[in-house]
Amino acid sequence: MNNGTKQPKRSDEPIWWALFSAGGVCFAVVIPGSLLSLAVLYPLGLISAEMLSYERVHHMVFEAFFGLGGLAFVGAAICLPLFHAVHRIHHGLHDLQWAHGPVAKVICYGAAILLSAIALGLWFF
Amino acid sequence: MTQTIVIARYNPEQDEKPHHEAYQVQSDDNTSVLDALQQVQQQDPGLSFRWSCRMAICGSCGVMVNGVPKLGCQTFLRDYPAGLVITPLSNFAVEKDLIVNMEPFLEHLSAIKPWLINTAEGTQPHVQTPKQLAKYQQFANCINCGLCYSACPQFGLNPEFRGPAALALAHRYNLDSRDQGKAQRMPELNAKNGVWTCTFVGFCSEVCPKKVDPAAAINQGKVESAKDMIVSVLKPSGAR
Amino acid sequence: MSSQQNGRRPYLPPFRRDWWLQLRFYRLYMLREATVLPLLFFVGWLIYGLYSLGQGPMQWQHWLEFMAKPWVFVLNLLTLAASLFHAKTFFELFPRVMPLAPPGLMIAGQWLGTVVVAIGLIVLLGGYV
Repeated sequence: MNNGTKQPKRSDEPIWWALFSAGGVCFAVVIPGSLLSLAVLYPLGLISAEMLSYERVHHMVFEAFFGLGGLAFVGAAICLPLFHAVHRIHHGLHDLQWAHGPVAKVICYGAAILLSAIALGLWFF
Repeated sequence: MTQTIVIARYNPEQDEKPHHEAYQVQSDDNTSVLDALQQVQQQDPGLSFRWSCRMAICGSCGVMVNGVPKLGCQTFLRDYPAGLVITPLSNFAVEKDLIVNMEPFLEHLSAIKPWLINTAEGTQPHVQTPKQLAKYQQFANCINCGLCYSACPQFGLNPEFRGPAALALAHRYNLDSRDQGKAQRMPELNAKNGVWTCTFVGFCSEVCPKKVDPAAAINQGKVESAKDMIVSVLKPSGAR
Repeated sequence: MSSQQNGRRPYLPPFRRDWWLQLRFYRLYMLREATVLPLLFFVGWLIYGLYSLGQGPMQWQHWLEFMAKPWVFVLNLLTLAASLFHAKTFFELFPRVMPLAPPGLMIAGQWLGTVVVAIGLIVLLGGYV
């Protein structure tokens, strides 16, 4: 089929791009509401501190629906946005001619994997 | 009225590198950049630039106007009251004055096999419905002017990148119901220098004189490449 | 080389490191890419919050106080602006990557998603149920 001509190597970018895209949706759909509620309305007193009490939030994140709501939040507001962010940083480093090559790639995606693992670990334990 | 235009000049036999020179031209509402260049050529027959059709079909007269890639025939002095600086297309090597070496572009273009690949025997015409035509028609309007390559920072950063026009045409043929060459083109698209160098800056689509939207084509190509990767994992024997 | 012999001496100017400052279009592209920088801070706060929630009521109270600090509040406002700018660009690009429906409809549908999630979170966290 390829007439014997040499073919270029398949890039592994589809994996990182898929995570980047999923994270981009989360950054656009989940993050604004999260910021608005936790980081704007709560400090302004429009969401009361009682409603964000330890018992109530702990129940929501770790206990309600076997903690699946908490897991969904960790995935949509922490892990996927992390992969989105490091993908843009990785390409941005190339755009600015600061760094390109395997080291920058390992550091960028490695950081996202490590921090995601920490977040998932905090949810799990 | 008289207007001043600045043109990048480079004579490979005399100059170390290009320099700018100012010229006076007569202009009215209908004076295009190409008209102005031809006026300057009357003053200085040594000025070199490419042109042919004067109607945005041939794609020969691409230049940078104030840092933006434009077709000279389609760009008018009236839109630049503050003056214009005309330089050769960015990201290509200058041969002389406004003439660049388009060879790298042509190599990228031929690498993705921008033609119908169909092994069907017989004398029957390849029938296509309007709906099938509509799938790729937008991406078929490319005139190979190369403006998108001058608009693309990723091509400037990495000249091995196949680039907007080539990848848009690959997508155009992959979408064509008469074509069977997708399997031959996908390895080029799947590569780092295929669709995956693109970061959707999107300026290629902005400058395209034919509204091809190469950025959309490339990113639709990313979806195809991702699907192709999944298929290759699920079907290891069939992949490469 | 042969290009020397036939009088050719092609000149390729070096690609400018500050290319992205040269055009408004490129500056907006870089701004879009840079929206992830404030995002990283907010993700950091969330990981800190998750840690605090696991540590007990005292530490959770520390986190709540942290989120109300003026400099954190201001930074979070910046992140909110960044997330909305990101959303605008991302929603506009999506119909070009996956043309599933008329672009205007797709963009409106995505904004609806953002609004619904925001209202949902406010209702849930604010206890308005």
